[in-house]
Amino acid sequence: MCTLKVTGIGKYFSTTILFKDISFELNSGDVVAITGWNGSGKSTMLRIISGLVRPSAGQVEMFCDNKPIPKKSRRRYVGMVAPALSLYDELTALENMEFFCRVRGIAYDRKSCFNILERVDLVKHAEKICGTFSSGMKQRLKLVQALIHNPPFLLLDEPGCNLDSRGIKSVKNIISDQRSWGITVIASNEKREVDYADSIVNLSE
Amino acid sequence: MHPTKSGRWITQTVSSTYLSEAVAIWFRDLRSEFRTRYAVNSILMFALTTLVAVSFSIGSFRIEESERPFLYAVLLWIILVFSALSGLSRSFVKEQEAGTMDILKLSARPQAVFLGKLFFNLTMLGALGLIIVPAFILLMGYKIKFPGCFAAMMVTGGLGLGAGTTLVAAMIAQADARGALFSALSFPLLLPLIITAIKGSERAAYGISAAGWPEVKIAAAYAVIMITVSLLLFPLIWEE
Repeated sequence: MCTLKVTGIGKYFSTTILFKDISFELNSGDVVAITGWNGSGKSTMLRIISGLVRPSAGQVEMFCDNKPIPKKSRRRYVGMVAPALSLYDELTALENMEFFCRVRGIAYDRKSCFNILERVDLVKHAEKICGTFSSGMKQRLKLVQALIHNPPFLLLDEPGCNLDSRGIKSVKNIISDQRSWGITVIASNEKREVDYADSIVNLSE
Repeated sequence: MHPTKSGRWITQTVSSTYLSEAVAIWFRDLRSEFRTRYAVNSILMFALTTLVAVSFSIGSFRIEESERPFLYAVLLWIILVFSALSGLSRSFVKEQEAGTMDILKLSARPQAVFLGKLFFNLTMLGALGLIIVPAFILLMGYKIKFPGCFAAMMVTGGLGLGAGTTLVAAMIAQADARGALFSALSFPLLLPLIITAIKGSERAAYGISAAGWPEVKIAAAYAVIMITVSLLLFPLIWEE
């Protein structure tokens, strides 16, 4: 059982207030959508939850089995997909997977990686350099990278971006699977993606 | 690691240490470098150009025999330092420019990232030294009376140079005027090391009885201090 507690979060740039006093609490099985106008801070909110950006006010707490997760260990519990997160273009899809397995302390097995790539329709391109991939293929590989360590907290910033109908179905399956045991936070204004959520946090209100 | 029918991956977690994470980053950087050859080309072209220019214009016969150990030590370290600065400054900048900085922050611990980048920079410096130092000795007719001491000076000087440039490279990665900032920050940080390394190399070449070793010890201490301080400071630089 995991819990994500966001309390009084605010982000200010100089004199500009991006958002302020945002609070919500999620437990395993919950899916929340963060919506808002362009520039309202949806992506920044996800970056704050992941620990990539410090909030100007408030705090983000994560718990698993009622034990708090220290900020420095958060990376092991969080999987994130975002347009701003890039993979290594000079490596192949398989080499990218190998790197993320090794750096995250996951046993690397070539055959298993092929199985995973098959699920996102990338098996034919496993040994191709990522720099030659289309944006949709890169997005699929980003999804694999985010899920490779089975994170209980899944942060998806516009997850369906650049994906075709099969890719969108994969995203739907990933979210419904995550619902069975973890927490999902989706930042999007896409109606289809917002519909996956049980609750909405609108940053423009 | 395999997916279940419901779609979730089942991954077998093995122990992850700072060293294993650092080695993963080191190998990934080497693989990327092998494909792009950005740092290698930059470092080697600078080193070879300056080495050839120096050897053609000065050669082994234009300098008095007694002055050679000192002047050659100066020239050798100038070539090594500026060649290293031309390529190693990009170790973090390339992550920033490729947009992979955040994914690295989410995947590895800061200290492991620093160590991985340090290993990569030391590999580049090692390769540079293995090519340039023998070539310099051959082309310039550099006679070294204490080769062991000279080699130790090269190794400890290289370690300090690698540690210093890696830390500065991390500091400038998110700045706008990276090139100017790298030079401005590297100069005061590396100056004590360069002076020590020149002095040590000169003494090893002159063959002053065991006199090169104090500089070797100073350079080794510099490298240890720099690596320790970097490991303590790097998380503050790495995280916003």
